[in-house]
Amino acid sequence: MKRFIYLVVFVCLLWLPARVWAQEPIVSPEVTASAEASQSASEATPSSIVEKIVEKQPDITQPTAETTGKLEGYLSSQKLAPLGLTNFLQYAIHGAVKQGVPANTIVLLLLFPLIAALIASARHIVGLRGFGIFTPAIISVALVATGIVAGLLLFGMILVVATLSRVFLRKLRLQYLPRMALLLWFVSLGVLTVIFLSPYIGQPNLTAVTIFPILILILLAENFIEVQSSGNMREAIRVTAETLLMALFCFFIMNLEVLQKFVLTNPELTVIGVAVYDLFVGKYVGLRIMEYWRFRQIIKHG
Amino acid sequence: MANSSSILGLNSRNHLFQSRFNRRTGKEIADSKLATKKFLDKYKILTPVLYGVFYQPSDVPKFNWGSLTENFVIKPAEGYGGGGIVIIKKRVSGDEFMTMDRKIIGLDDLKLHVLDILEGHYSIHGLAGTAFIEERIMIHPLFRRFTYQGTPDVRVIVFNKIPVMAMLRLPTAESAGKANLHQGAIGVGVDIASGKTTYGVWNDQLIKLIPGKNLRIAGLAIPFWDQILLTSIKIQAKLVNLGYMAVDFVIDQVRGPMVLELTARPGLRIQIANLAGLRRRLERIEGVEVDELDKGVRIAKDLFGLRPRGKKRDELAVFETVEVYADNKKRVKIDAKVDTGAYRTSIDRNLAKKLGLLKKKNVLWTTHFESALGKENRPIIGLTLWIGGQKILTTASVASRGDLKTKIIIGRRDMKGFIIKP
Repeated sequence: MKRFIYLVVFVCLLWLPARVWAQEPIVSPEVTASAEASQSASEATPSSIVEKIVEKQPDITQPTAETTGKLEGYLSSQKLAPLGLTNFLQYAIHGAVKQGVPANTIVLLLLFPLIAALIASARHIVGLRGFGIFTPAIISVALVATGIVAGLLLFGMILVVATLSRVFLRKLRLQYLPRMALLLWFVSLGVLTVIFLSPYIGQPNLTAVTIFPILILILLAENFIEVQSSGNMREAIRVTAETLLMALFCFFIMNLEVLQKFVLTNPELTVIGVAVYDLFVGKYVGLRIMEYWRFRQIIKHG
Repeated sequence: MANSSSILGLNSRNHLFQSRFNRRTGKEIADSKLATKKFLDKYKILTPVLYGVFYQPSDVPKFNWGSLTENFVIKPAEGYGGGGIVIIKKRVSGDEFMTMDRKIIGLDDLKLHVLDILEGHYSIHGLAGTAFIEERIMIHPLFRRFTYQGTPDVRVIVFNKIPVMAMLRLPTAESAGKANLHQGAIGVGVDIASGKTTYGVWNDQLIKLIPGKNLRIAGLAIPFWDQILLTSIKIQAKLVNLGYMAVDFVIDQVRGPMVLELTARPGLRIQIANLAGLRRRLERIEGVEVDELDKGVRIAKDLFGLRPRGKKRDELAVFETVEVYADNKKRVKIDAKVDTGAYRTSIDRNLAKKLGLLKKKNVLWTTHFESALGKENRPIIGLTLWIGGQKILTTASVASRGDLKTKIIIGRRDMKGFIIKP
């Protein structure tokens, strides 16, 4: 009997979204957005919200005219030497941009290996740990998308909600995956609350945040919870803080306009340079900088 | 003489040792505590008694939970760093148990914990896991004063069939009865030669007394020491695909050392507890062939054992008369030259032969030596010396010294604590 009820509930859950789709005519996002905008304007809601959306600074993850314009400006001011082994990538980039590939996508793709190399050396040469290489790298991109204050605010909220709900869920004695699913339920509601409240706390950037940066920040929260529940709290906080530190550092690197210009106009140098650097880091077998501190007593004792 | 290059860091551990000497088949055995148990049973090496194994959730209700009364441990077979281990001291009432840190938990909690383990919550790879229940080994009376609510264990790092470094791990209140250093247990360095404790490390801090108790850490002799060293070598001799590993022992008062687990990626804090670097030690024995197990013990003791430092500062002249312990158990007086330019002590081939020191059981390994005079095979032998009245266990290389006046050269390794009179 119990099993049957579960089954019914599950089927209902599957059916629900299908019904919603069936009822609503499919419209392109632009149409709904403009419709909503005109609707809200005609209803004369406090215009500050609408204005603030307009105020939001375009970031490099979005192919708006402003971001790509500047980058394409760098390209058009670049004079290309005759095609050769040392500048074929430059030709490829110029060609792609002419065909309509957004320049910011190219810049981000060129910067991503650099960011990854920096994170790898943060671990192998400095000694910061963090959650692997992918999490800090992708969080830095998420931070670029949300803006630093909004991103940290969101992340803080996600962490607090996740930690509190974990403590609460422990008492319910659920199995692992359903427990994690409920945890994500809490986290999603927490993020929603932040977005609802954002106009009142003076964070207009938050209202325009897209889903992917949010999901990425939730990913970090999951990592955090996992370390927290299998290891100890201090460890979890430390590794999370180190991940954030690396992400912040990469965020600033990625936002450097000088660097963006450099990688766009010197793609060959960037690509080869990063690869060579990675090889060197991979062969390094000496002590990490933080290990000199960790083993200071042995060194002193000698 | 610990400089930073003698210390093993994470980079050098992973790159120079783990990835080169630990193969997948070896790691698979070490990474699963159940596979370890099965493997060691085959060679009659003692491990704690197994009470039950859970492969899938349906095994949980099938298990006879009523059979558990006291002193058992629930563990994830693929766990690491002590995660997911629940240690039960006794059953307080029908469905309630008391853990080592005196918390009361219900049978339902235990079952849920087993299910969590099966779900892969504590696995190294996050995949579905296996859980098992085994006996809890009681604290050896010798350790009782030093530990808090948990059984200490002894970790021996073995490389190339030679024990390299050892550590006693004492559970504390912070570590909730577990012996993992990163959870707050105390690591205590152990002298390989004597099996006696040396320094302590707690949360990366060097300590001399047990925190909260007025107990000196140094000088505690670990029972069954030689058996521990020998067992660790024996395991590696059988598990050739795990060239660099740690063996964790618990010591039962009656049954002796029992193997808790094998680790293919032992931590690095053991170096702080011993105030010595691992990297230099590992590099020294890389490539050495150990043909008999007890030779591994002998090499370890000679190479890595602590030297007693001279109490009064004895002086050594350039030419000294030393005594050598010959094969016929006699002490023979020989003129030696003290040479600060040599690292290892060396002895003339003919003299070594005359003293019976070149017998196979005394030759620890052979090095290939290249000099201006061409290539030469030099055996390294175990040597017992008395210098200035002090007994020194060491290793010496055997070389032809021909007509030279002194048949023994004392190297820097054996001069610790002496003052050289120029």
